[in-house]
Amino acid sequence: MPDDIRSLTSALARDPKSLVYVDLAEALRRRGQRQEALQVALQGLTRHPMHADGHDCLARIYADLGDLERARLAWSKALEIAPDHMGSLRGVAFLLFRQGDLAAAESALQKVIARAPWDDGARRALAGVRGGRVGAVAPAPGAAAARAVPAPAAQRPVVFDGFDGASADILLLDQRGLVLSGGLTDAAGKDASELAAAALAGVSGEAARTAEYLALGQWSAIVAEAEHSNLVVAPVGDGALLLVRRDRSMAVGLALRFAERARGIALAWLKGLGA
Amino acid sequence: MSEPLQRALDRISRVRGVRGSMWVAAEDGIPVAQLLMEGVKGKAVAALAASLARKVSGAAAATGAGRVRFVQMEAAGGTLLLAPAAQDLLIVALADSRVNVGLARLEMIRAAEAALA
Repeated sequence: MPDDIRSLTSALARDPKSLVYVDLAEALRRRGQRQEALQVALQGLTRHPMHADGHDCLARIYADLGDLERARLAWSKALEIAPDHMGSLRGVAFLLFRQGDLAAAESALQKVIARAPWDDGARRALAGVRGGRVGAVAPAPGAAAARAVPAPAAQRPVVFDGFDGASADILLLDQRGLVLSGGLTDAAGKDASELAAAALAGVSGEAARTAEYLALGQWSAIVAEAEHSNLVVAPVGDGALLLVRRDRSMAVGLALRFAERARGIALAWLKGLGA
Repeated sequence: MSEPLQRALDRISRVRGVRGSMWVAAEDGIPVAQLLMEGVKGKAVAALAASLARKVSGAAAATGAGRVRFVQMEAAGGTLLLAPAAQDLLIVALADSRVNVGLARLEMIRAAEAALA
């Protein structure tokens, strides 16, 4: 069983009432385990019938299974609960496109872009719809991705304003490896946040597993001293992760204190979002 | 086990708070030599430390930080320390929360560098 599915299954077993069922169903769907994904999503929705992300996830599973009518119903339900739900708006556009209603698909995609101007996928889909290209609109990528469509660095929320390296050396991401705020640049000054976030998500899962197996309790930080710089990785709240990169000339203890301050700011910001 | 490897473990294990130290094959997470207090699960520590080292190394590469020299994972109930060494080995220490990290780090980096020689 892949690591992500194992850890999500374990998290759901520990707390069957949690909303992690969506992530598990989505992970199963992405791996092509559609029946298992369907079962997880349906069970989750019996506990959380008003969870828009859950209905969105269920719709994508039905779409994968070719049951477009059930997919439509599930996306409609999600939009009834949350009219601005991005994944569901994209899903509806996908269905309209599949049904050959290009004008309605175009209108649905315009709604997506109006709410998320940085959504390049939706822009490409819109261009495809206007060109009448088959396959222009892909099924919605999922609740997770829809909630956090990668935004260019300049459009990310400013959280670490005033911190040294606020948009080049501090990165806040969620447990799926999607960037929430901050940024990380490579040696050439180009944004490398997405790549770094994807790699860091694996570190978080591994740290949690290590701490659990060794009965160390909740892990609070990983400090990695490396050839060119030092890294501090720390969990923030429930599922987010902070990375701070500091020059090797900064003492490790100081880097830890700096990261702790950034963590406090990130935590307050996430709380403000209700996350 | 070679004498230099054992001596390194002796030094590390004398640091206050260290509950055990070991040399681990980085590739497969198998213990090569160990000096552990009773109750410390050597095989689990080795496997988890090697896996964590791989993930951290991957993340360090992705962030442009370069080759990892030392890793410290802090948790509420203790600390896991590791340092990559030559011959595809890792030196690993498991410690409680009272550990003098600075001293353990020095001993571990010294041991890792000696293994390079």
